[in-house]
Amino acid sequence: MKETNSEIIEKPAAAEGTQLPAGEGNIKTESTLFAEPLFHVGGLKVTNSLANSWLVVIIVLILSIAIKRSIKAVPRGLQNAFEMIVEGFLGLFDSVTGSRAKSMKYFPLVFSFFIFILLSNWMGLLPGVGSIGQVVAEGREKVFVPYFRGGTADLNTTLALAIIGVVASHVFGVMALGAWHYLNKFINFKAFLEIPKKIRQDPTVLVVNPIKAFVGLIEIIGEVAKVASLSFRLFGNIFAGEVLLASMSALLAFGVPIPFMFLEVIVGIVQALIFSMLILSYLTMNTSAEEH
Amino acid sequence: MDSLISTFHLDVKLLIAQIINFAIVFAVLYFFALKPLFRVMADRTATVEKGLEDAKKIEQRLVQAETERNEIITAAKKEAAAVMEKTAKEAALRRDELIAQTKEEIGAIINTEKEKMRAEKASTLKEIKAEVADLVALSLEKLLDKKLTGKDDAEMIKKIVKDVK
Repeated sequence: MKETNSEIIEKPAAAEGTQLPAGEGNIKTESTLFAEPLFHVGGLKVTNSLANSWLVVIIVLILSIAIKRSIKAVPRGLQNAFEMIVEGFLGLFDSVTGSRAKSMKYFPLVFSFFIFILLSNWMGLLPGVGSIGQVVAEGREKVFVPYFRGGTADLNTTLALAIIGVVASHVFGVMALGAWHYLNKFINFKAFLEIPKKIRQDPTVLVVNPIKAFVGLIEIIGEVAKVASLSFRLFGNIFAGEVLLASMSALLAFGVPIPFMFLEVIVGIVQALIFSMLILSYLTMNTSAEEH
Repeated sequence: MDSLISTFHLDVKLLIAQIINFAIVFAVLYFFALKPLFRVMADRTATVEKGLEDAKKIEQRLVQAETERNEIITAAKKEAAAVMEKTAKEAALRRDELIAQTKEEIGAIINTEKEKMRAEKASTLKEIKAEVADLVALSLEKLLDKKLTGKDDAEMIKKIVKDVK
């Protein structure tokens, strides 16, 4: 990927020499924390990360259709590989959920997270992603804007994924436990309603149950923290990987980035796995009855 | 919060666009790949289980057939032995009967032959007697031709013949 980076770094110099007056047309090629906009469709600002996500969607679409076409009772080729992956994941999920029925129920959602994140992470490593782009004038400066940027190297994407995951875990929780019971996990009405009943037997409920209610409030903060930690962990890892690769190729474009490429391939899998397994554990936790 | 939004260029529209992207990925994976795949996998599991069960059934049937066959063979052997015994007995009986019949027939033949021989002997004796009488008469005639008359002659012959007898 980043072999071409050296050219890009050189390009501004060449451009400077030939076309632009000195001091005015320095093209900036810094890695930004945000995804740069490419163009606008209606009110929507299409960023390079969004474009990359669309590519991921297209790849998933093609793969899925290929799998659907090749599905037979006796598996062969692509279906075999896919089944092997699915079986492996089901085994892993069983160790978290504790039952095959639950694993099967959450599998499509969690597996979709894994595939989407994995492909987005890896798409960011492809040659050309982050290195082929256009030069855009931004005020007085000229800025290099790549056409593609890893989908997960944009907080909008990771935040969207984290919100879907956490909201889904609550939806499944309400479905599994019932709205009233589920609501009491967070805003503990039950704890207060219990006080008049139990106070004669055990006066300590006067102290214990308000604490229980307070714990419920902490859980609400916990849910916000879940979204924050999920989104920032994924974004941070992938964005850091891209910056790392860019710096390594800036040092020496040939050879040096290769070990880091392998590292980033592994990071891509690990982060996708961490994200999906965390969503799975939230799903499992929220659908099982409260124990404390 | 504002600094967060400005630093990372958070945008509700982009957020929604990414949510839609993920929804598409989820729907496509679920309906095109996972759902049919799970169905096929479940079907295959069912088929394999059924196959194994069938194999067990077939094995049981085989064992049953084996025992049945053995039973049938022993029964057939018994029956065959009984038939053989019966046949042997009948054959022995029949042989004895035949032997007895043959004996009788042989006896009858012997008797008739004896009878015949006896009759022949008697007739031969008669002839011999007659011839001897003639011979004696002839020789006596020659010896006593002139001394004896016819009457004395006859009486003498008779007497001699009686003595010879």
